[in-house]
Parts: sequence; structure tokens; C-alpha cells
Amino acid sequence: MLNLRELQSRFFYSIARPVRSSEDEWQGFDPLLLQVIRKQGKLGPDARLDIYAQMYCARLLDALHEDFPRVAAILGEERFREIGRAYLRQFPSTHPSLRYLGAHLTKFLASQAAGVSAPFLGDLARLEQARIEVFDAPDAEPLRLDDLPMIPAEAWTTIRFQLIPAVQILTCAWPVQQIWKNEHFTQSDNLQPATTVLRVWRQDFTVYQASMDAIEQTALAGIQTGDPFAAVCATLEPLVSSLEEASTLIGSLLLRWVEDGILACTYEV
Amino acid sequence: MSCTVPYLGHGVGLRTQHFPRVWDGTVRVDWFEVISENFMLRGGRPLAVLEKARGLAPVVLHGVSLSLGSTDPLNEMYLSDLKALTERFQPAWVSDHLCWGSVGGHYAHDLLPLPYTDEALAHVVERVQQVQDRLGRQILIENVSSYLTYTHSTMFEWEFITQIAQRADCGILLDVNNVYVSATNHGFDPHEYLRGVPVDRVCQIHLAGHSTYETYLLDTHDGPVITPVWELYRFAVQRFGRVSSLIEWDDKIPEFDEVCAEAERARAIEHQVWELPYAQSA
Repeated sequence: MLNLRELQSRFFYSIARPVRSSEDEWQGFDPLLLQVIRKQGKLGPDARLDIYAQMYCARLLDALHEDFPRVAAILGEERFREIGRAYLRQFPSTHPSLRYLGAHLTKFLASQAAGVSAPFLGDLARLEQARIEVFDAPDAEPLRLDDLPMIPAEAWTTIRFQLIPAVQILTCAWPVQQIWKNEHFTQSDNLQPATTVLRVWRQDFTVYQASMDAIEQTALAGIQTGDPFAAVCATLEPLVSSLEEASTLIGSLLLRWVEDGILACTYEV
Repeated sequence: MSCTVPYLGHGVGLRTQHFPRVWDGTVRVDWFEVISENFMLRGGRPLAVLEKARGLAPVVLHGVSLSLGSTDPLNEMYLSDLKALTERFQPAWVSDHLCWGSVGGHYAHDLLPLPYTDEALAHVVERVQQVQDRLGRQILIENVSSYLTYTHSTMFEWEFITQIAQRADCGILLDVNNVYVSATNHGFDPHEYLRGVPVDRVCQIHLAGHSTYETYLLDTHDGPVITPVWELYRFAVQRFGRVSSLIEWDDKIPEFDEVCAEAERARAIEHQVWELPYAQSA
């Protein structure tokens, strides 16, 4: 007879068929476990345990599919499930919530042949992972347009803005936001590599992403590191023809960020 | 001792598809049950919707990953999150399943069956007590659908759950559909199960649909409650009295009103059994 610990261990590793064996090498369920499962009616121990094995796989693959819909669409159902099964063998869930199930998928895809046939898949998975993380990032009261006139004129030289927690900045080798926008994108569509910096953010309950040009990247990086607004403005100067142009650009960026709700209402003067 | 929770009437499980109805305040229901893990978040829409939901009707937390029967230590982070959730949302009660779902730090995200032995009994009783101490409240434990039993079990499932409830002083969330599914899969009389469970421990009833395969039933929650399960529910109401009931619908989820119609059917049965004047949820 198996004690409880041993039974659970053999049960889990039977249904998860993890890392140590590939699907091809699988030799059947653990014989010691099968000995303690009752045969009832038409179903023997194998068939009964297999119900759990099938459910394990189906449930977790569905969860991965839900979190990475565009990766799944690009790969196609069959290939996605094949890769998903291999992923689950290597990275079984270690968290009580399914939300973290795909946390290693980006790394895993990079090591797979699928990454070669669709080299942008890793970046696409990173974008989808960032969207998940931004979706339930901590809430924060955003700075509103109405708040801006309340900031004293003399404060603009020293003021430091903060980003809300629900913002991520991703640097990708591929313009994967184009794939996200195009539901009908396939691997045969022509996508050229191009370094792309995306900001991914949540406004109210909706997650967005947008690519940033060099000016916005520089300015937002300054905000993210906590530079005073005047210093952020100064960092733009080498990228444009004059300080006046830099001031105009930072003004319009500030308005865009406030409209997108990515600046927190807390700031230091 | 016994389990004491308020009678809430006939509720529905709140799922993401119905968040807009909660957000615009157009739902009418006696109470909501939500999956605890889906709200163990730091921010965003789910928590905002849950705040809104509890302004509309009482809320109950129902977990799927506590893994009460696991031989792994209880997950401290999980317990901490669950406690924070109960403190913030003040649910009418908290429940999870009589099963295990993790071992060696790995989670199956499934409700896996325990052997019904003295070893498992002592283990689960201790774990339920630990959880109750940590949360500072009684919890309810739910019977799960199962597809296998063990040769070394020494008692029936209804004896096992009864012993746990009495020794750990917790309540029972009786899933009538799960009783029906397991009874069919293992060849026992579901009425015998219900007769074997003590009346004063049953604090909530679950109802759901399931799928029929050639050689077994699968607890899929993807359709309406079938007639034999409604009949078993009628029997349960006769035995256990007016117990808060809840409709679970987790796959192929229809419009909110269709789920509510199932809750109304439960209400109608309860009112027939107890000869109460019938009135739909306001």
C-alpha cells in the first residue's frame, strides 16, 4: 500500500508525464499506482487514471491558449498544443493560480524549432505576457488633464512625475504590435525585423500598446528613472534642432501620457 | 458545535463573461459565489467588479487551489492572499474542495481524489483546522466529482467528509451534481450518500451540469442541470432544509439571465418542498 505522500507523487507524475520522459518514451502509468486503483464496471485503473491525465492536459493547454491567443493563432492549434505539452513537461505549474502558468513561455519558445520558423514568436509572447501583467497590476489614481493647471509655474523645473504601475516598456526585435492588430496574420505574411519599443499600459480596464519613436522612448525612460521633468526635457535637446522644439515635443508627450492615463497623480515638486 | 452561516437563497457563480452586467448594475440575484484565486490580484477590473458585486448582493469566496488534502505544506503565500481577500471583501463564508491538487510544489489545477483512510482523514482534519485558525473563521469543504477510487480506502466518501466536518468543526458544501456524477461513476446510491451526511453540517449546495461519455460522467459545468440531479436536489432539500444553493456554469457560459433561470428553478423546488409562497428574486 502506498502512503499518502507516495500516492500523490506517483499520481501527479503519472498524469503530468513531466520532463524526464518525452511523449515517445512514455511507458504507461506507474504500475504501483495502478495497483491501488480499483477496477469498477467497464473501466480499469488505466482508463480511470487516463481521465485525469486528459483533463490535466486539456485544462492547462486551454489556460495557455487563453493567455497567448496570438501565439496560438500563428502556430496553429495542433502545433500550439504540441509545443504547449512540451512546455508543461518542462515547466509544470508552481503557483496556485493559473495566471502564472505561461511565465516561462517566452524563454521556452526561444529554445524551440518554432522560434526558427517564426522568429518573432518570442517577442509576440513577451507582448502577450506583458498584457497579462499590466491587466492586473496595482491600481493607481492617474494624473488628469485638469490637474496640470494646478501645478505652480515655478514647480516645472523640479517636478518629477511617476508612471502608474500598470505600464511596461518592451524592446522587441520585431514590430509585433502589427501582428496583434491583425487577427488574420499568418506565418507566410511578410514581417521584417525592426527594433521596436512598445509601451503597454492599462487605462481603466482596457490594455493597450503603442510603439514609441526615439523621442518618446528617451523621455519616458527619464520619467521611469525618476528624473526631474526639466532634465527629461533636456535629454531631448540633442535629438532635435533646438531647445524650443524640445519643449514643444515634451509638452505634447505630456498631454498624450496624461490622456492615456499612464502618469500617476502623485508627483514630487 | 455545528456550522452556522446565513441563509442567502439561490445564487449564481459570477464569471468574467457577466462582469459587464455587474458593472452596469443590471443583475438581480440573491448572492454571488466567486472563485477566490481569480481575485488574488493587485488591481484591475476583477477587483473593481467584485467591489461592485458585493454592493449588489452578498458574496462568497470559493477556492480551487487550497489543496487541503495535499501532503505539501499549506502554501503560506496563498493563505496570506486568501486572508487579505476575506478581510477586504468580507464574504458570507469561504469554501474549498475536499481533494488534493499539488505535490512537490507542482500544481495540477485539478481536484484530485483522496483515499478514504485514517491517514488521509487525520491529515485533512489537521489542515482544515490550520486554515480555519489562519482565517479566523469556519470554512466549508466540498465533495468533488471523482473518476477513480482506491483499493485501500476503508470508508465511504460520505463517512469521510462527515468525519472531517465533525472533527475539524467545519461546514460541508454539498455538491449534488458531484454526488450524482460520482455515484454513477462508482456505482453507489446517491441517496445513501445524502442520508449519510449530517444535516447540521450542510451549509451550501452546489448545482451544475455535466457531460455524459460512453463509460462515465464528467463534471464539466457546461450546461444546464439535468433532471435526475434536480430530483436529487429535491431529496436534498427534503433532508437538509432550506440551504443556500448555487448554480455553477463554467464553460459554454450562456447569458446571465439563463444562469439565473436555473437558480429560480432551485428556488421553485425549495418552495414546493417546504410549501412556501413562491416569489422570484427581486
